[in-house]
Amino acid sequence: MDTTLEKLKILADGAKYDVSCSTSGVERKNNGKIGSASAAGICHSWSADGRCISLLKILFTNKCVYDCEYCINRRSADVSRASFEPKELARLTIEFYRRNYIEGLFLSSAVEVSPDYTAERIMNCLKLLREEYGFAGYIHAKVIPGVSPEILHRIGLLADRLSINIELPTKESLGLLAPQKKPKNIFTPMTQITQTLTERRQLKGPGTMFKNQDIYSTASDLRYLEPEGENLTPGDGSLLDLTGRPLAIHKPGKRGKEKFAPAGQTTQMIIGATPESDRQIVKTSESLYRNFKMKRVYFSAYIPIADSPLLPGRFTAPPLAREHRLYQADWLLRFYNFTADEILDEKTPFLDLELDPKISWALRNIEKFPIEVNKASLEELLRIPGVGTISAMRIVRQRKLSAIQFDDLKKIGVVVKRARYFITCRGRYYGGTDILPEQIRQEALDSEGIRNQLLPKADHVQISMFNPIVSQWGAGIAQRAGTVRSFEADALNVAEGVRSYTGDVQNFSGAGKERIHGGLPL
Amino acid sequence: MFKTLAGQERNGFMVDYLYDGSFEGFLTCIYEHYYNEKASGIYRSDFYQASILVPCRTVETEENKATRVYDAIENKISREDLKRAYRVFLSSAEEKENKLLQYLRLGFQKGSAVSLLHSNPIVFEVQQIEKKVTVEMHRLKGLVRFSALVKQAPGLVDREILYCKVEPDHDVLEIIADHFADRLKSDPFIIHDKIRNKAVIAQAGSWYIAGFTDADLPGLGELERDYRDLWKRYFETIAIQERINPACQKRMMPVRYWKNLTEFR
Repeated sequence: MDTTLEKLKILADGAKYDVSCSTSGVERKNNGKIGSASAAGICHSWSADGRCISLLKILFTNKCVYDCEYCINRRSADVSRASFEPKELARLTIEFYRRNYIEGLFLSSAVEVSPDYTAERIMNCLKLLREEYGFAGYIHAKVIPGVSPEILHRIGLLADRLSINIELPTKESLGLLAPQKKPKNIFTPMTQITQTLTERRQLKGPGTMFKNQDIYSTASDLRYLEPEGENLTPGDGSLLDLTGRPLAIHKPGKRGKEKFAPAGQTTQMIIGATPESDRQIVKTSESLYRNFKMKRVYFSAYIPIADSPLLPGRFTAPPLAREHRLYQADWLLRFYNFTADEILDEKTPFLDLELDPKISWALRNIEKFPIEVNKASLEELLRIPGVGTISAMRIVRQRKLSAIQFDDLKKIGVVVKRARYFITCRGRYYGGTDILPEQIRQEALDSEGIRNQLLPKADHVQISMFNPIVSQWGAGIAQRAGTVRSFEADALNVAEGVRSYTGDVQNFSGAGKERIHGGLPL
Repeated sequence: MFKTLAGQERNGFMVDYLYDGSFEGFLTCIYEHYYNEKASGIYRSDFYQASILVPCRTVETEENKATRVYDAIENKISREDLKRAYRVFLSSAEEKENKLLQYLRLGFQKGSAVSLLHSNPIVFEVQQIEKKVTVEMHRLKGLVRFSALVKQAPGLVDREILYCKVEPDHDVLEIIADHFADRLKSDPFIIHDKIRNKAVIAQAGSWYIAGFTDADLPGLGELERDYRDLWKRYFETIAIQERINPACQKRMMPVRYWKNLTEFR
């Protein structure tokens, strides 16, 4: 037990930077022994950083042959090393699960000996869980880049969700920071997963995002990301230049049996370690959703763990505000029918850190407003800042019975103080005298206390009775203790070099937003 | 106008119904309201404070009357509203019976459209209460922490029983029982609601609810402390120092639940 304790500590420590912890997307009934999976996902605890714990998120081993600059487990790092035995980890998972500590297992790993050696041990562990223990709970397995298709396929039959990290938003950055990881080794398994899911008609979710596309014609649908700017050639700045035909190793099996990764595939990239613009990141994730039918693309703010001339300095605070805005942009992509180009155009390559991307978009496109809530289509309603997917649906349903009054909007769930600038209700405008983007921007910032939360707090400032009260803003923003310097001037120079976030953000977490895992019911 | 509730609804009705606190009893009151005398309010008989202004009547729970109302809600309003009514009934909200009475009266007028009237004050309030119950139900699915206890019986093999203590705001035991009973078919378990002194007792997929005190519980299993330590260690290790955010943690997992969580003990 003591050795398990030691291993648990080392291998949980190494896995904690992985973002995904979601358990949603698959409903599985108990098959006679232990465990089930709930489609809505269940969080079991919340750690001190405010992120939820739903899976036993752990590495199989942290003995790594790779030497990626950004990674705590890189070969050259001086850390304690350990490896689980398949049996040991399976037992630990079951005992934790019985006590309802966890919803399942998230198994990642460093590359010990070789990708196939590591993947085979992972496979054996999952096999024990599923076949010996009869475990029907959630399993998320991380795919080791470079794994052989046969082993990947077998792991896919055991796991609920598969993910392979693209690590960094562009090929250049990957080449710089993780020279041993090749885009090909990442995209080949990714393609195989998409292909298998497509052939088995097991894709759920992503198809609803891009309605006019045939989600089952993957092979023809693999498009590469368009280059940024004029002086770049296709493939530059993008990881998605994979060549060659995707692998297809298995014919679809009997339907309803042998499910392959029923909760789909996800990926993750580190942001803030390399100089990509938000636009590049959002474009890359849009392309991942389109081409690989990802369930989610996760962003992980870079946390400095080592001194390297290639990386931001050791005491650089992680760009958590930026990460939060990227997740909001991701939400717009997946649930609000926005395209990456609408969220960020070439003139504005970075997201506004003070305002959420939906308001920013609305202010740039102010001629589309105000929108009459009693007449607008669902698509139009979803574009109104302050109106979410649930309240948009409620508006559509309720106005069939009677016209919606302005006072009803709050009860319907609309964030009225944000939405009022962008709507008319029964022909009347409630946002003031006129629609002026600059004024709305100012009022939106003031009324929501965003400025108070994001900008430096001077210790000596007296509390004025006329200051707006700092409100809890949305679900995700925590009370801020840290400071953010002016990002606007900064944003202009950013495309050039690595963006430094010196002492910018502390104690800020976008983790709250993460809790709605599988997505909202639409 | 009397007491607390929305005035005009109560005007003209002059009798308070008292019932035994069961859902069936409540449904019988609804039956009486429609087929007998209109109720000015419905109250649990054990918590009722008599008033000289409003006479009261004790309604005996009758299964056939309750069943008729149950079916009527399902057929004339909707299945979702029946579920909603039941969840609201399990809540600890004040005057929940009267709020439900109003909601159901509206429901019998409007049919299934009642749940779309999001801005109607009666519907809004019931919807908010339902949300609280549903949120707690969902939270508890994650926040229950079992301990393995060992039952020793002479001549028999020692048997492990999973036990946990909860103190929920609302009476959600019966709506979380199915979830755990399905999930832990191979383990017998007890979920003990310490506030209401009752427990779900389950084995091999079936369960019942009984009165319960922790007087006769067997002792901890041999490895129980080790697994608790492992879990605590995991819980501490998984937090990223650079992101420490206690406000967020408390918002997601309110402190009132912490006392029964292994990771905080």
